[in-house]
Amino acid sequence: MAEYFSQFMPFMVTGVKTTIILFVITLVLSLPLGLPIALGERSRFKPLSWICKFYVWVFRGTPLMLQLFFFYFFFPFTLDITIPALPTACITFVLNYAAYFAEIYRGGINGIDRGQYEAAYVLGLSRGQTMKDIILPQTMKTILPPVVNEAITLVKDTALASSIGVIELMKATQSAVNRETDISIFFWAAAIYLIMCSVLTLAAGRIEKYFMRYDAKEEY
Amino acid sequence: MSQTILKMTDIVKDFGDLRVVKGVSLTVSKGETIAIIGPSGSGKSTLLRCINGLNKVTSGVIELNGETGMVFQHFNLFPHMTCLENITYAPIKVKGEDKEEARKKAMKLLEMVGLETKADVYPAHISGGQKQRVAIARALAMNPDLMLFDEPTSALDPEITGEVLNVMKKLAEEHTTMIVVTHEMGFAKEVADRVIFMNDGEIVEEGSPEDIFENPRSERLKAFLKSIIRS
Repeated sequence: MAEYFSQFMPFMVTGVKTTIILFVITLVLSLPLGLPIALGERSRFKPLSWICKFYVWVFRGTPLMLQLFFFYFFFPFTLDITIPALPTACITFVLNYAAYFAEIYRGGINGIDRGQYEAAYVLGLSRGQTMKDIILPQTMKTILPPVVNEAITLVKDTALASSIGVIELMKATQSAVNRETDISIFFWAAAIYLIMCSVLTLAAGRIEKYFMRYDAKEEY
Repeated sequence: MSQTILKMTDIVKDFGDLRVVKGVSLTVSKGETIAIIGPSGSGKSTLLRCINGLNKVTSGVIELNGETGMVFQHFNLFPHMTCLENITYAPIKVKGEDKEEARKKAMKLLEMVGLETKADVYPAHISGGQKQRVAIARALAMNPDLMLFDEPTSALDPEITGEVLNVMKKLAEEHTTMIVVTHEMGFAKEVADRVIFMNDGEIVEEGSPEDIFENPRSERLKAFLKSIIRS
């Protein structure tokens, strides 16, 4: 058994590490980046709104794999700089996921009752204060489930990075299967993906509970 | 003559092609309590919302000497803040008041509306009448010169409107300058210094509660009062 694992596990572990790096970097950067895009889309300054809408339109409307290939060739061909595959994947994933998160945020913001803006206005709050302290905190509860959904999709989307040569879990698994001619390795890879998604789901449950703290426990 | 807080002249407000307020003039003196009554769609709330800029007037002049506070029909408390935080947020963030001072003042206001025990409770955990009382305290915390009430009891069950009206009555007795758009004829009759009857975007009649309720002159007011009694 130990020998069985030692054949492919070290390789797989390196792949998992890369997958986690790609996942964490994407999430940590795209989550905040989505916010200015969402606010930009809602801006009364039309050119800004158009640019942000165009951005979302492009990144949501084309395959992530196409975007990966585009940036993979874009940097060396047009900017004449060589960027390794993993950073290229990170950049692409961040830009792509920011578009999805922007749409989730926009939906969350639109879901807040007009009365909240009016109450903030009559109390003399600035537009910035209103957004930061009144509107956005209230969107947390509604945006959390779709954000978690995206994060879970992201875990699996990281496999796409293998298309430009990033040796993450999927690529590592594929190589291991080829080398060992043993398809049972796929099951181990599946198990690892499942564990990652489960950890995420559990963490999300905790966070969700935190943001539900001010809800009525029952109908008053 | 006491100090004029608000002077509205020939206020017109259109929503698209619809003229909702049709040239209304109104002057409010310091310490006055004014009740605006009238059927639904008569432009009462719109007129009120023109005063603080929630609705932009189409034409007309508004001279406002001081700041306004507003209480809404649907309370509009911030659900993610406790009752106390709802009250202290604006004084601290907008007026730059000291946190401890703001807290003390908020506690006094909560006491005034009878909700000092609910300071650390979130709005979702209190009743509609209690929410509205917190909303009144929140508006008062900004020390407004003029309080605007937009149908403050319309969203409440009839049996709990009293607790809100009592607070408003107390404010009137303390000579808080107030304009109250209301369907509560009892309140208008008992508390208001002046009652304004609006219909179809115009002020049809105004006067003391006795004038309006005992000796209505116009047919429209008579019809309105009759419909109120019947319902």
